Amino acid sequence: MVLIMTNKYILKKDHLVPLLRQLGKEYQLVAPLENKHGDTLFTHIDNLDNCRVDLENQPQNSLKQFFFPQQEVLFRYRNQPGVSYEFEPAKSREDAVLYLGVRPCDLSAILYMDVVFLKDFKDPYYQKRRNNSVLVGLNCNTPFDNCFCNGTKSGPFIDYGFDLQLTDLGKYFLVESDRSRGEDILEKLHQFFELATEDDVKDQYQAYLESRGRFKRQVHVDLAMKNLAEGYVADGVWTELSERCQDCGGCAYICPTCVCFSIYDQQQSATEGERIRCWDACTFSGFTRMAGGHNPVDSSIRAIEQRFRHKLQFDVKKHGRPSCVGCGRCVEMCFGGTDIIRFINMACCEGM
Amino acid sequence: MAGLATTFGSGAMTNSINEIENAQVILVTGSNTTEAHPQVARRIFDAVDRGAKLIVIDPRKTLLAKRAHIHLAIRPGTDIPLLNTMMRIILDENLADDLFVEMRTENFHELRDMLFRLDCQEMAEIIGVPLEKIRAAAQIYGRAQKAVVCYCLGITQHICGTDTVQSIANLAMLSGNVEKEDTGVDPLRGQNNVQGACDMGGLPNVYPSYQRVDVDDFRLKFEKAWGVSLSGNPGLTVLEMTHGGKDGPVRAMFIMGENPLLSDPVQEKVRETLTNLEFLAVTDIFLTDTAELADVVFPAASFAEKTGTFTNSERRVQMVRRVIRPLGQSKTDADIIMELSRRLEYPMHYQSSAEVMEEIAMLAPVYGGMYHDRLEGSWGLQWPCWDREHDGTPFLHKYYFTRGRGRFVPASYQAPAELPDGDYPYLLSTGRVYHQYHTGTMSRKSTLLSREAGEALLQINPLDAGRLSVRNGDFLKMRSRRGEIKLRAELTDQVREGEVYTTFHFSEAPINLLTIAAQDGKSKCPEYKICAVSLEKRTEG
Repeated sequence: MVLIMTNKYILKKDHLVPLLRQLGKEYQLVAPLENKHGDTLFTHIDNLDNCRVDLENQPQNSLKQFFFPQQEVLFRYRNQPGVSYEFEPAKSREDAVLYLGVRPCDLSAILYMDVVFLKDFKDPYYQKRRNNSVLVGLNCNTPFDNCFCNGTKSGPFIDYGFDLQLTDLGKYFLVESDRSRGEDILEKLHQFFELATEDDVKDQYQAYLESRGRFKRQVHVDLAMKNLAEGYVADGVWTELSERCQDCGGCAYICPTCVCFSIYDQQQSATEGERIRCWDACTFSGFTRMAGGHNPVDSSIRAIEQRFRHKLQFDVKKHGRPSCVGCGRCVEMCFGGTDIIRFINMACCEGM
Repeated sequence: MAGLATTFGSGAMTNSINEIENAQVILVTGSNTTEAHPQVARRIFDAVDRGAKLIVIDPRKTLLAKRAHIHLAIRPGTDIPLLNTMMRIILDENLADDLFVEMRTENFHELRDMLFRLDCQEMAEIIGVPLEKIRAAAQIYGRAQKAVVCYCLGITQHICGTDTVQSIANLAMLSGNVEKEDTGVDPLRGQNNVQGACDMGGLPNVYPSYQRVDVDDFRLKFEKAWGVSLSGNPGLTVLEMTHGGKDGPVRAMFIMGENPLLSDPVQEKVRETLTNLEFLAVTDIFLTDTAELADVVFPAASFAEKTGTFTNSERRVQMVRRVIRPLGQSKTDADIIMELSRRLEYPMHYQSSAEVMEEIAMLAPVYGGMYHDRLEGSWGLQWPCWDREHDGTPFLHKYYFTRGRGRFVPASYQAPAELPDGDYPYLLSTGRVYHQYHTGTMSRKSTLLSREAGEALLQINPLDAGRLSVRNGDFLKMRSRRGEIKLRAELTDQVREGEVYTTFHFSEAPINLLTIAAQDGKSKCPEYKICAVSLEKRTEG
């Protein structure tokens, strides 16, 4: 039998933890871990022998908080009487971090954050963390209950943007690399990887095909985008959504691509303080209200409208693709029923 | 709670919150559910999505009222005439559940006789809603197989609060809408663990599990358990204490987690009482306005710093677990009480809250099967839960009411204590906004919440505002017979002409300087929802 060579590899499942142990010598590790309450969250691994890596369930958080923390000290300031301000940049971790189990939606979200934080103005805080990151992706063989990444074209499989990527083929993982950091790992820790055969690649395509048929929801993101762009979404849609919205901001906090923030100074003494950046949400009236009370987004109806137009219309115009990645987290989170799937369904009906 | 306890034998939500999703008809009265109980509002929205009919009774056009199939915008304080009229229509149209009334209730004749004397047209004029609209609501509610009534402080904070609650219970019993799953009468509790506080005897007349202090058997049981002799007389209600004045009946107070200086009506009276006490100690997680008057303040630990249980509106007892150690010099409420008790020569030696829970299980029958090990790793248990084998009770009064038969207690219209007149032409009602909680002891510490709602706004109809030459955001002087405050106007058609609404969260605009001391004769709950005020545009400052 002649084996046709590919540039893909096989990693036995038994060897995943030993591989992580080796990688842990060079990187901080972040992976979906199941905690003692049964919830799976992206978490720093402190002790590989005392945690459960969970690659079966969707992590409840995305990786947003690791690249763009919920609260971050930008710098400290001091102001002695008679002396001008002194500034001291905040110290940040320099460690390289390897993220394991990054599903296509979360990977797409990071690629979107790259556009926001690195394209024109380069945000140094984000840039440092991003440059120090290694992303090990995981294709989705079984989409979860609220997933609709097929509608946003960001999954369930992805073939770019990762350093390494795993596809579960049952007995073992198929491993691909897309960037030189991934290649380096394959080379340096070559003892873990065997070359994959063409049959393995066929199995990967088969898994992709089957995964596409396993979505539980049909969400016509493209139709909603079209109706938004062409002005077919009736005002009643926004009114109904705003009446249901409970204004908790949960959708924005849980969303892997919502990157609105506020900056404020936290005074610590008469002469010292910190400038802090923290997450914010466009649905809060205080986010857009100006000094003096005027608010360009003059009601909760317009705030909801802004949220969905930004994701499905403005970003499409600006970057060529929606900034919703179809992870479904806001659907699980929202308790008013103002989530993006409800909006998309309403926007489709109104337009037809 | 007195109302439901008299009628059904138990003063709590008869359903679980989840059951609301499955109701066919939901009648919401005196509840701004989306702002005060968003998690309940979510279930109501879900039920409506599934085809349920929503009836909202509220003088204001709240968010929920906007989404209602029928909104009955009654005159404030006319709940009893409305409920009676609905019952009369249910009787007239043969929608009463005769079998249920026969098998499960008593004293129906008295209700029926009262209803047959009612002139519906005359009632409709008092209520201020067309009779046809009331009829439509009565028909929808009366015909439902599964109907839920949710009510809140809009019902109870009136001088006739207890009677109104009983009228709601009458309506539910008359149409057989109680004692079943997805069907019942649900008072929505206003604070985390207020249900638990009542369950544990935080009321003047009962020991834990609603065992009356004036019943000897109960008293003896607790005397034996605690090794002390106890009084058989009910204690004082809140206003009897905080409105005692200079020479009030109470000379020393220990206030835990409450801010009566802002939350009780007629602030001047409360201040007079508290400042003339011989001794005042206050426990709270932050220094409240009340705590500033105290001789001693105990810094208390927050929820994240202690282990124990909370009991929510649906009688569900859930664990809360310590995540961090108490900060600074703060201590948990239990530790504060034990320290005090030790120094008062009644040493308590509870080593954990699990041990306290074991004593509760022993002495409070409805908590009889609740132990920390059973509450761990689950969503908790709903009382009554009689013993370790019992799985808790999702809905109350299955097969029979707690008191045996449900008792019809008819009630008639009582005009509010103070209605608008020539001098004070506007009707003021008070409540909450979504982003703040009660007197703001906790929520005002959040800059984000204060950014959304950072000061008191007076909701006023644009037509009234026009007459006063007031624009959105202008300052108003609002005066009642008891005091005066200033606050900004928010022009909105949520309120009708002649009616204004604001909140009690902000000490800069202490609304309870203005509210009235009138209270319900039975529950002693103050009439926060209605008093008369005058308004004037404030020109300077």
